[in-house]
Amino acid sequence: MLEIRSARKTFYAGQPDEKVALDNLDLTLQTGEFGVVIGSNGAGKSTMLNAVSGALSLDSGAILINGDDVTATPVHKRATRIARVFQDPMLGTAASMTVAENMLLAELRSTKRTLARGLNAQRLANYKERLSVLGLGLENRLDTKVELLSGGQRQSLSLIMAVGGSPDLLLLDEHTAALDPRTADLVMQATVRAVDSLKLTTLMVTHNMQHAVDFGHRVIMLDAGKVKLQIGGEEKANVTVAKLVDHFAVKTDAMMLGA
Amino acid sequence: MMEFISSTFTSYVALVPVTLSQSLILAFVVLGIMIPFRTLHFPDLTSEGAYPLGGCICGILIAAGVNPALAIVAALACGFIAGCCTAFIHLRFRIHTLLAGILMMTMLYSINLRIMGKSNLSIFGSDTVYNWAPFVTPGFPVSKIIIAGIIGAAVFLILNWFFKTEKGTALRAVGSNPAMAEAQGISVWVSTIVGVGLASAFSATSGALMVQSQGFADVNMGLGILINGLAALMIGEAVVGKKSVFRQLLAPFVGAIIYYQLVSLCLAAGMPPPDLKLATGLFVLAMLALPTLKRRRGAGGAPAHEKFRE
Repeated sequence: MLEIRSARKTFYAGQPDEKVALDNLDLTLQTGEFGVVIGSNGAGKSTMLNAVSGALSLDSGAILINGDDVTATPVHKRATRIARVFQDPMLGTAASMTVAENMLLAELRSTKRTLARGLNAQRLANYKERLSVLGLGLENRLDTKVELLSGGQRQSLSLIMAVGGSPDLLLLDEHTAALDPRTADLVMQATVRAVDSLKLTTLMVTHNMQHAVDFGHRVIMLDAGKVKLQIGGEEKANVTVAKLVDHFAVKTDAMMLGA
Repeated sequence: MMEFISSTFTSYVALVPVTLSQSLILAFVVLGIMIPFRTLHFPDLTSEGAYPLGGCICGILIAAGVNPALAIVAALACGFIAGCCTAFIHLRFRIHTLLAGILMMTMLYSINLRIMGKSNLSIFGSDTVYNWAPFVTPGFPVSKIIIAGIIGAAVFLILNWFFKTEKGTALRAVGSNPAMAEAQGISVWVSTIVGVGLASAFSATSGALMVQSQGFADVNMGLGILINGLAALMIGEAVVGKKSVFRQLLAPFVGAIIYYQLVSLCLAAGMPPPDLKLATGLFVLAMLALPTLKRRRGAGGAPAHEKFRE
């Protein structure tokens, strides 16, 4: 379970370009719940995700994961419970290392790293199996350096790395935004399969309204650093793209998304 | 002309054993340059200060009658601390790695002088690790080749093993993509500090081995060592490549051996020693410039915002 309690974050405080990115934001995500976050640019989506992952520290407020206060925990310690897929395929993987080494790093996310040999036969077999689910042939390219993979392959790898080890919380930061529509679809399908079968508590940020309509248990709309609207349950099942777009405050945003 | 070639060749061959022993000792500095530059993507100049630091520590300890192997271990430990300081300066105060290295190297110059109390210290005739070489008469280059070679091989094997362990893989990930490493639960601070510390420890070890080899310690002994090391590293990478952990680790050793043989050949051919640094600098510059020179004519130099080569 994820709880964000009156989170507040101000950038450039006291300067002319002061910006309140999170304005006493409250949000609770139940264990196993899949929340989809939407909102116009500057609404605070990325700030919220960065605050949850620990990349950004809050001015005030608290973040709890399964009841434990992690507000002051640094990124690398929070990583034992949180997995994240970034928007930029380059960010989520180590480019100069091989596919297998990247899988190893992800596997060791929540355990203590030892002086034992990293890539043993048992692990390699396991990675092969897990990657074959994607159907991209990555299972036969374990020794390929990640920099040689396409953006879609890298993002798919990031996803498999993130969902392995069943993290307490999965953060997806517009993880299909940089991909072409077909690849984006493939990655999204793989995401939904993994989240459903592992019952992962997931927070996904997206600008794709169709994705927000089709996937997840609850749509969370942010505006000016606050939760403006939440649509869950029955209502979520009946929501349409047009209805969601209507809720966008800024006219230009609504026009762009509707087009 | 024939006479010039034959005389050059004769004096070069006579120098081969001495040069080989030197290059095996200096291979540790090249290793200490390779780890930050390649593995950690932390371009670091500390080696220029850590190398004489190791030399000075070793010199003063041997002069005091300490066991020469212990003197090397002490040098290694001090080098490690120096490297940790550079990494800490960079991480804590967000100072560019190169500047952090220059700061550390400048401060180390004073520290080295303080340690020795004077700029030059002779330990000629003292017991050294080279006297322990089996089967050979002490004092000859062969004994140095054997001892430095054994230590080098051991370090190579240990690092080749370490970089493939879970901890070693994590360390390499920090160099490859720090944000990703952090998101995978790896502490960028710990890895960077330990990694740069390790590198400087090797540079200091090299200084200690050199002092025992040449019989004196000098605060100025590190002058230009970084550029020499970079030149050696580039030669090594050109020869054995850097595609795998094994090759990347082998490059400093191979590079050091070839580079110092080339230097020796130049000197044997009558090149004045003062010109050596200019020649080395031009060589490193040429190696770094090569990729832009290969580019299509008319493309005209590097774009202003391209990443700098390190």
